Amino acid sequence: MFRLQFIASLCVLLAVVFGVQAQESHQSPRQSTDEIAKLIELAEPGSTIVVPAGFYEGNLQINKPIVLDGQNLVTIDALGKGSVIEIMVGDVTLRGFTIRGSGLTIDQEPAGVRAVAGPVIIENNHFEDVYFGIDLRPAADSVIRNNTVIGMKHKLGRRGDGIRLWWSPNSIIEDNTIDAVRDMVFWYSEDLSVARNRVTNSRYGLHFMYSHNTILADNELIENSVGIYLMYSNNITLIGNSIINNRGSSGYGIGLKDCDAITIKNNALLANRVGMYIDNSPSSIDSWGIITGNKIAFNEIGLLSTPITHDNVITNNAFVENEEQVTVHGRGQLMLNDFSKDGIGNFWSSYSGFDKDNDGVGDFPHEPRSLFRSLLARQPNLRIFLHSPAQQAIELTARAFPELSPEPIFIDASPLTRPPTLDLFVSTQTQSRFPMIVFSVGLLAISCFGGWLVARQKPLPKITDTDPSQRAFV
Amino acid sequence: MTTLPIKTSPQPAAIGTHLSKVSSVIAFARREFRDAVSSRWFILYTVAFTVLAVAVSFMSLAGSGSHGFAGFGRTTAGLLNLIMLVVPLMALIAGAGSIAGERERGTLLYLLAQPISRTELLLGKYIGLAIALCCSMCIGFGLSAGVLAWRVGGVGISAFVMLVLFTCLLALAMLSVGMLLSVLSRRSGVATGLGLFAWLILVFLSDLGLMAGTILFKLRVQEVFAIGVMNPLQAFKMAVIVNMNASLDVLGPVGMYASQTFGGMLPWILALVLGTWTIVPLAIAVLIFSKRGSV
Repeated sequence: MFRLQFIASLCVLLAVVFGVQAQESHQSPRQSTDEIAKLIELAEPGSTIVVPAGFYEGNLQINKPIVLDGQNLVTIDALGKGSVIEIMVGDVTLRGFTIRGSGLTIDQEPAGVRAVAGPVIIENNHFEDVYFGIDLRPAADSVIRNNTVIGMKHKLGRRGDGIRLWWSPNSIIEDNTIDAVRDMVFWYSEDLSVARNRVTNSRYGLHFMYSHNTILADNELIENSVGIYLMYSNNITLIGNSIINNRGSSGYGIGLKDCDAITIKNNALLANRVGMYIDNSPSSIDSWGIITGNKIAFNEIGLLSTPITHDNVITNNAFVENEEQVTVHGRGQLMLNDFSKDGIGNFWSSYSGFDKDNDGVGDFPHEPRSLFRSLLARQPNLRIFLHSPAQQAIELTARAFPELSPEPIFIDASPLTRPPTLDLFVSTQTQSRFPMIVFSVGLLAISCFGGWLVARQKPLPKITDTDPSQRAFV
Repeated sequence: MTTLPIKTSPQPAAIGTHLSKVSSVIAFARREFRDAVSSRWFILYTVAFTVLAVAVSFMSLAGSGSHGFAGFGRTTAGLLNLIMLVVPLMALIAGAGSIAGERERGTLLYLLAQPISRTELLLGKYIGLAIALCCSMCIGFGLSAGVLAWRVGGVGISAFVMLVLFTCLLALAMLSVGMLLSVLSRRSGVATGLGLFAWLILVFLSDLGLMAGTILFKLRVQEVFAIGVMNPLQAFKMAVIVNMNASLDVLGPVGMYASQTFGGMLPWILALVLGTWTIVPLAIAVLIFSKRGSV
């Protein structure tokens, strides 16, 4: 009896608590952004305003150098009209807001936060349901740190950019998480630091246009159309980035277009359609490119290049189980690039030689020739015949008649034979193996059942004992 | 003695007619299944397929710790080539031997003397052989799945299930073609030869021809796709890849065209192609078999 009472009273208590909570959230004050504007009006320049917690509707324009702190308790919603926050002067800090509901008109390009003067600091904010996320044009010497931008899930072309810098040099873009936007793009902005950002489900993860002298470190670019695309941007270092599963229609992990003095080091390019695409980089006659220490694995094409490409030094990379390791866009060779230097080449999972003296360098150069691959380079439509016996027949023919075999598109004189540590791409999937075991046992059971049906079958009746009268004679 | 009703004599409409028809088909299927399973070539193919499937699973897993990560699983890529070589051969030869063999041994007349129609005879044989083929492949796939479960875990099980289903569909289609060839030929040697020739065409020559055509005539993507997909082996391959990747982008421009044009319908279209290759040759075989003389 006591127990029953206890449970009943508990239920009542819970109901009361939840009821009150529901009422509270229902009654949360919806104020106008004019309230914040008034606070800014009253504040001294350079002071800090802690905005009272709550839900504010409307647009906000900041005309005074000031620190606005939402302490992660303030939501500003522009209700689908214009940019949510516009920063008109420099030295503004915006911290700890949830910013949502910008407009969607293409000619205005409304954003979550637009700054037209620098420097600004935008950190620890959450953006959702905005056309552009953070738009600096221009706001030099700014910091964009630790923001989350979740775009509107329109078609790729109709989306806005998650973060866009326009003529905003010396800026720092760090630790941001971007999902479902168009690009994270940098126009005419030099000397940036772009580190530890994560971009997913977007068009170009990181896109550089005419933006020189930058380091991109430790960014994660996953399941975008293209991971990193550098265009007409010189002297850029890419280091330690993870670029995984970017499989759009171009689907490059890293794309380089007319870029000089690029260093690509220690990145992981995994399961993209094309791991790395080099389009006329370096473009200047005396420039260079360095591609070293990268893990380029499980892509449909490891390294794709235009035939005129020259002066890249490609060493110490691991090309592991790419469907095609290296290929040329159209026909041609890559002989003007170094695939080995000072006795160090690359690791090729497709290397067919051996290393007798066990010094870690193969005894034969790696010069892949594949008739089918060269046909593919000539006519990409033939890719439909991949993974078919006809493909193998062609390769076999080329091996049997060496005169049919094409010229190698590159030569790695000292291929490495020790596989690199593959710790980066050990599968993280921890699915149960139980269904697979059940399926395996089930299939075997089916065939055993078939066998049992045969064994069980009685032999056809023999024609004996039909006539007892005959038996006497036997 | 003008015309003797050699074919099915019109029987009085009885309640059990349908039932007896079904049961006679089953009886023939059972007999065919038993004959197939106990025949030497069948055991040979089964053993070969099983050993190769298990070996491919092992070898493609040995290299790296990458399973389930890549866009296109190495195991499936290896299995795919094996299946596309062995399964059509197995099914075509099995089908080719069925009627022609009976005819050559003289047992066809004996079978036709039974109170069943020719359609039922052919269907019974087809079903029996189909079950035998599927059972045979189940051994190979079952052990292969065991290897995967042991070494990798449950990664990609749905794709593997679809692989098994589509392989069975491919076997049915090829068996159907084999039976058509068997009905057409008088001697089992001829039928087997025709079966081998059909295998050569479907597996190698048609693809190589289309490759040459693509290069020479600069065929557009939609043309390459339309011609390529008519080959049941290509349809099978695309179906397996679609089920694994949800897209055909692995297969270049033509694959992307197919994915973008047909979207979610693509697996069904490919299944339809295989279904057509199953039903049409079998239907023609039934027509010809019921028209032609017995010997």
